[in-house]
Amino acid sequence: MSILADKNSRILVQGITGIQASFHVKRSLETGTNIVAGTSPGRAGENYLGVPVFNNVHDAMRQFSFDASVLFVPAMAVKNAVREAVEAEIGLVVSIASGVPVHDMLEIRDMLKGSKTLMFGPNTPGIITPKQARLGIFPDNIHQAGSIGIISRSSTLTYEAVLQTNKAGMGQSTVVGLGDDMIIGTDFREPLRRFMEDDETKAIVLVGKADNAYEQLAAEYYDSLPDKKPVVAFVAGESLPFGHRMGYAQNIITRGRVTVSDKKRIMREAGILVADQMDDIHKILTELSL
Amino acid sequence: MNIHEYQAKKILAQYGVIVPKGGIAYTPSEAKRIAQSLSSRGPWMLKAQIQSGARATGHFIDHEAGSKGGIRQVTQISNIPYETAQMLNNRLVTEQTGDKGRLVTKVYVETYEDAKHLFYAGMIIDSSIPAITLLISDAANKDIVQLAQREKNKILRINLEYNVGISDKQILQILDFLSLDKIYLRSFHDFFGKLLFTFINLDAKMIEINPVGILPDKKLIALDAKINFDDNALFRHPDIVLMHEDFEEDTRHRRAKQCGFQYHEFSGNIGCIVNGEGLALEAMDIIKYKGYETACSLNVKGGVDKDKIAAGIKIIMTNPRIEGVLINIIGGFLRCNLIADGILEACEDVGLTVPLVVRFEGTNKNEAKAILEQSGLTVTFAENATEAVEKLLEQMEVND
Repeated sequence: MSILADKNSRILVQGITGIQASFHVKRSLETGTNIVAGTSPGRAGENYLGVPVFNNVHDAMRQFSFDASVLFVPAMAVKNAVREAVEAEIGLVVSIASGVPVHDMLEIRDMLKGSKTLMFGPNTPGIITPKQARLGIFPDNIHQAGSIGIISRSSTLTYEAVLQTNKAGMGQSTVVGLGDDMIIGTDFREPLRRFMEDDETKAIVLVGKADNAYEQLAAEYYDSLPDKKPVVAFVAGESLPFGHRMGYAQNIITRGRVTVSDKKRIMREAGILVADQMDDIHKILTELSL
Repeated sequence: MNIHEYQAKKILAQYGVIVPKGGIAYTPSEAKRIAQSLSSRGPWMLKAQIQSGARATGHFIDHEAGSKGGIRQVTQISNIPYETAQMLNNRLVTEQTGDKGRLVTKVYVETYEDAKHLFYAGMIIDSSIPAITLLISDAANKDIVQLAQREKNKILRINLEYNVGISDKQILQILDFLSLDKIYLRSFHDFFGKLLFTFINLDAKMIEINPVGILPDKKLIALDAKINFDDNALFRHPDIVLMHEDFEEDTRHRRAKQCGFQYHEFSGNIGCIVNGEGLALEAMDIIKYKGYETACSLNVKGGVDKDKIAAGIKIIMTNPRIEGVLINIIGGFLRCNLIADGILEACEDVGLTVPLVVRFEGTNKNEAKAILEQSGLTVTFAENATEAVEKLLEQMEVND
């Protein structure tokens, strides 16, 4: 078991002929990811890396059905690509590109409301279930199949978290990159819920960071769960100096609860095991004796 | 991207928001000329144009600027050149600028407006909902952030539906909150409708009017204005890109930006080079945990251009405050060997006079290590970020 994607997931790649996409689709195929089709405007009928290409999602849906779509389209095209996937009722969308305008994300979140689509990203390394499905741009050779679920708000620290679970000898069930951006498709709560229900996942590692309120939402949710698996968390950015921004609105909107120490305190109060340093995560996991 | 008050007011005026009449002055005599053209009699407002709030309560570093802040009310036309000269080419420090302050290169001259019922209005994206949220407070300037923390009911928050706009019900809520009569419904609706339209149309991340005032004819006037734009959406707004002023940033920031990298400065003596925001935060946190401070941090992101990486590394290496350099890289899309090549090129150009500790992980880790090992440079390798910081601090202590 795993969450969100496994070896049976039928995967579409939107924007499959781009340079980044080609590089990573090839690697994903090599690791056994079940990529069944791709889209690229004007390239219909081609066979790219052994994958049939369609002009758009609608055309691809005539021949195939999909469990997930990975978006390698550039930032300015993400809004329309998500719309296509939402209209096609694809259950999972993972958007890789960084630099998506924040107003586009407001519109996208509006589209996702009441839809059948769950979106991760933008600006994420993606989702990976080791040895089964690689939806994104994860580095080679660091992943080991195992029992720890990872959910991360920071792309590069996702890899640090992976290395920590390896160090603890536990490996990963599924790794979920939420995305680095200010507004993301899905926050910690939904993958957390799924990890709680996944038999294979024994514990979860959360990686948070300074800014925004996503960690607070995760803590509140975890606190409300009747049955829960252990969660180990790290929040980066404790050393960031506060302030030096233009205007007051930024500080008002977070009600002053934005500091990393505040996030850590709220998480601890909710029963989450908070690591002071990234390198403490493997020690805490080992002590859990799962 | 931030812009100046005078630019923000010009934009808002284009969208129909009422702002005081004003003009921008680069010299004291120009300030006087503008004041005379605006109004035959005072008072006038002189406002230092730096991209920061709290200018009125700020202070100038330089003695010749006098003890007053960056916003001055002047009644006599004859005093305008003198007051302007005090502010120009001096550094203004506010609670939002940091200790170094910002250099004032121009002064905005405005007519003084006799507006009543001054209040704070901010429009910003609340990412946790997500929504465009309108913030209203009748508090005086600097207490607002404290209020937000302590007395939640002193700040009104109204979440606006995307593509729906602001409703009469929401306006009535604002009037009630500010203890104002319903006769203002129309003018408030007009003002906030225009603000929201500007916000959406220009991909703003923040618009702040501190304060808004009510004129004798019941219309609202923006007495100040700050706008922050989404950098990622600037491709849709070439006219706004033209308003960007490089010299609000220092040389190192500017150079890093030209390479497509992020550069930040702090108060310590360790330079960090990383390939992700998270890795930067991680390194800084460990350094702080060990009792030290970061001097500067360069994020080369997914950089693939060797020359740019070398240029970026040079920005760090030539920072005079640096006593040690930490390189923390996890290669994914970025290959570690490119960083190694960049280090070599940078060291050939500017030399390596401080300890250098490198941690490589991920794509092409071993090739990268081999490049540095064969180069003859004095480089120490570490297996993880914590070890890297520990090794660097050891070497820095030996150097002392």
